[in-house]
Amino acid sequence: MSIVYALVNVSVFFLAAPLYEGLSRKLTARVQSRQGPPILQPYYDILKLLGKDRIDSAGNWVFRVAPAAAFASILAVVGTVPFGFRENALNSRVDTITVVYLLTFGGVAVILGALSSRNTFAMIGASREMVTMIMVEPVLAMTLILGAVRAKSLAISGAIEGVAGAGFGASAVVMLLAYLLALQAFVARQPFDITEAESEILGGPFLEYSGPQYALFKYYMMLKQMFYAVLFVTVFCPFTRTGVYLMDMGIQLLATLAVFVLIALVGATHPRFRIDQAVRYYAVLILASLSAVTISVIGF
Amino acid sequence: MNFAKSLQSALEPEFTGAITAIEAPAAGRLFLDADRRLVREISKRLVALGGRYQVSIGCDDTSRNGSLGLIHTFAFDGHGLVVALRTSAPADDPVVRSITPDIPGAGWSEREFMDLLGLRFEGHPKPKRLVLADDWPPDIHPLRKDVPYNLVPPSAEDAAYQFDAAPEGTTTIPVGPFHTSLHEPAHFAVYVDGETIKGCDYRGFMTHRGIEKLCQTQVGYNEIPFIAERICGICGSVHATAYAQAVEEAVGLRIPRRAEYIRTVMLEIERLHSHLLWLGVAMHLIGFETLFMHSWRVREHIMWLSERITGNRKTYGMVVVGGVRRDITPELRQDIEVVLDKVEAETRGIHRAVIGDTAIHRRTRGVGRISAEEAVAWGLVGPVARARGVDIDVRRDHPYAAYDDLRFDVPIADSGDVWGTVHVRFLEIFESTRIIRQAVAQMPAGPLLTEPDAALPPWKHGLSLVEAPRGESVHYVITGEDNRPERWRVRAPTYSNLQAVPRMLLNNQFADFPIILGSIDPCFSCTDRVVVIDLKSGTERIVRRHELEALAKRQPE
Repeated sequence: MSIVYALVNVSVFFLAAPLYEGLSRKLTARVQSRQGPPILQPYYDILKLLGKDRIDSAGNWVFRVAPAAAFASILAVVGTVPFGFRENALNSRVDTITVVYLLTFGGVAVILGALSSRNTFAMIGASREMVTMIMVEPVLAMTLILGAVRAKSLAISGAIEGVAGAGFGASAVVMLLAYLLALQAFVARQPFDITEAESEILGGPFLEYSGPQYALFKYYMMLKQMFYAVLFVTVFCPFTRTGVYLMDMGIQLLATLAVFVLIALVGATHPRFRIDQAVRYYAVLILASLSAVTISVIGF
Repeated sequence: MNFAKSLQSALEPEFTGAITAIEAPAAGRLFLDADRRLVREISKRLVALGGRYQVSIGCDDTSRNGSLGLIHTFAFDGHGLVVALRTSAPADDPVVRSITPDIPGAGWSEREFMDLLGLRFEGHPKPKRLVLADDWPPDIHPLRKDVPYNLVPPSAEDAAYQFDAAPEGTTTIPVGPFHTSLHEPAHFAVYVDGETIKGCDYRGFMTHRGIEKLCQTQVGYNEIPFIAERICGICGSVHATAYAQAVEEAVGLRIPRRAEYIRTVMLEIERLHSHLLWLGVAMHLIGFETLFMHSWRVREHIMWLSERITGNRKTYGMVVVGGVRRDITPELRQDIEVVLDKVEAETRGIHRAVIGDTAIHRRTRGVGRISAEEAVAWGLVGPVARARGVDIDVRRDHPYAAYDDLRFDVPIADSGDVWGTVHVRFLEIFESTRIIRQAVAQMPAGPLLTEPDAALPPWKHGLSLVEAPRGESVHYVITGEDNRPERWRVRAPTYSNLQAVPRMLLNNQFADFPIILGSIDPCFSCTDRVVVIDLKSGTERIVRRHELEALAKRQPE
């Protein structure tokens, strides 16, 4: 039975991720006094791209495989989230380190795809993505490790519940702040849309991609954004738990929407940072998340 | 003794015999005829005396005296004087000494006339092709009178511009010929070490259509303002006004005061439009889409207003030689005041948002910084110069139209960086609203046009300066026979400012490339002097939506 919950997870992410993207685009447009695209536009985009010809502009297998690899890795990750506070078949088989590893794998696939395309702008994007990954992933890893320390278990469901499940300690508060401040970087939105930076490097790593392969990357990005939003809701808002599966899921979806509203508003009110400025900012976040883990080890 | 006289007496003893004639046909203008062997020394001396190099004008006089003419102009901004240093070289030995080693801003002008006239400049540090296409035959110089305006030499496949060699240890990032941050075709080869810019070479003029040649050979005096207006989609009135003023000055035509006021109003409305447009683009370049959208929303009010005044949202078609075509009625005056209030209030809101946003400061402060001395040496103009503390503004220093009647400040910043250009342009928006309010209130009654004589006297020189939103525009007209100019030279502000961009980029981050280039508000079409007109039909035709769609959907053949 518990395998069904994993499938429900994947389907919910699959269906809802473009919707959140659509809503946040609409909200951004309203802030900018624009009409904005229809809320369903991201679905149309994906469908349109899937219907296009596959163009192999780089002519090597890394370039062809990278989008699928990124997509597969994010699917594996979203399957493991105890969505609706319900454990599923995957939770007991993967641990925190596997999830961090799988997430990183998605980023590595983006970088490999960009490097294999041999496009100057894509390569700049790849090097920026690499820096971002090295500097931002630790905040996520520390969040889960904090949970693991507090739950005294590396299992993913334990780690997720452990952060704030038994009430907010000092460590969880520091981590909450670090996670919130890293959120825009997790989802690659302004001021941290440095990797794609349309007006400098024309979309960076994805520049040479089109058609179905680009659709996979787009979907990957949307799923990743939803994952970080859902993870925030699951880790830091355990108090919404009612015990009724469908209700919990509904509440979590609404809370995720709130996170997306926050992301869209912050994104619409900031210019893009330069990579050197962003790195200094990330360094502070890493220190904050490290100190949160230290505090939890001491026992708060 | 006025300044022109004291300048003469400073030059004459030093260059006895080299300066063959001096004339001052109009107030604020001094024409010197000099021997080509001493042009470099005289130019250097003029700059040492406080002159600011503006532009060079080359012309083909072979049919009259077998020589090629070359004119360098220098502005003495504190004294309201422009000096044109004229020289010539025989067509069979077209060599002039280059002034670029002393005056870097002259580099492009000289390269332009190597291409277009076949002049040769002794001692030019970078005598590469500038204007002509890479496959253009090297021995055909399009501005020579014996080259027809519609000559199409056979194209070649293997010709390509050779960019400067990349400095050691750097990689080359191609920005262009098409790049989202450029909006128009131009090619920068940016040499980076990691993400730090170590150098840059530029190849532009990709859409050069020879508008000067066209106007010198095909149309009449009063058609040119409308073509001039299409040099640039944003500062059209500037070019039309500058051209008309140059002709009026050359032939000594006084235009009605009311027409001068209306020109002033249109120029300032154009500045409001341009600065709001720029602000949006600048915010887009640093990834701040929200302020981009809001600036353009405010700009829309200006476009609707322009439509009510002139019939056009942009490219107003107001200016002709001798005056303007439409009046500003009392109802329009009221309309203008209402719109100005709205634009000013909304711009103040955006201004507050920009000033208070620390992230914008971080992206613009210290970026693209150069010193005031370098800004002067490169001959920067407009907000780009004023952001470096160089206090120049043609409207105040060399008044034209109705600016001598109006009170306004010239905002200066001394930060020397991109932030300075943002700051200066904001304040200029508020100054412009102030100027327009005064102008519509003080405008005297009277006619709109002084009809010029049927035949204008040939071989007269006229030079006019207009402060475009991007800086000083210079137009030089030599009147000709056949009811059209013998020579018409346009120098848009980007022509000066773009030359200094490689210097501004040095040691900045690649991520700042778009905003540094954007900070000069580059207008490649001005620089390229593009125009597309259908000479065969010559009639106006409205392209309907379905036609446009059909055009867009047409399969390439």
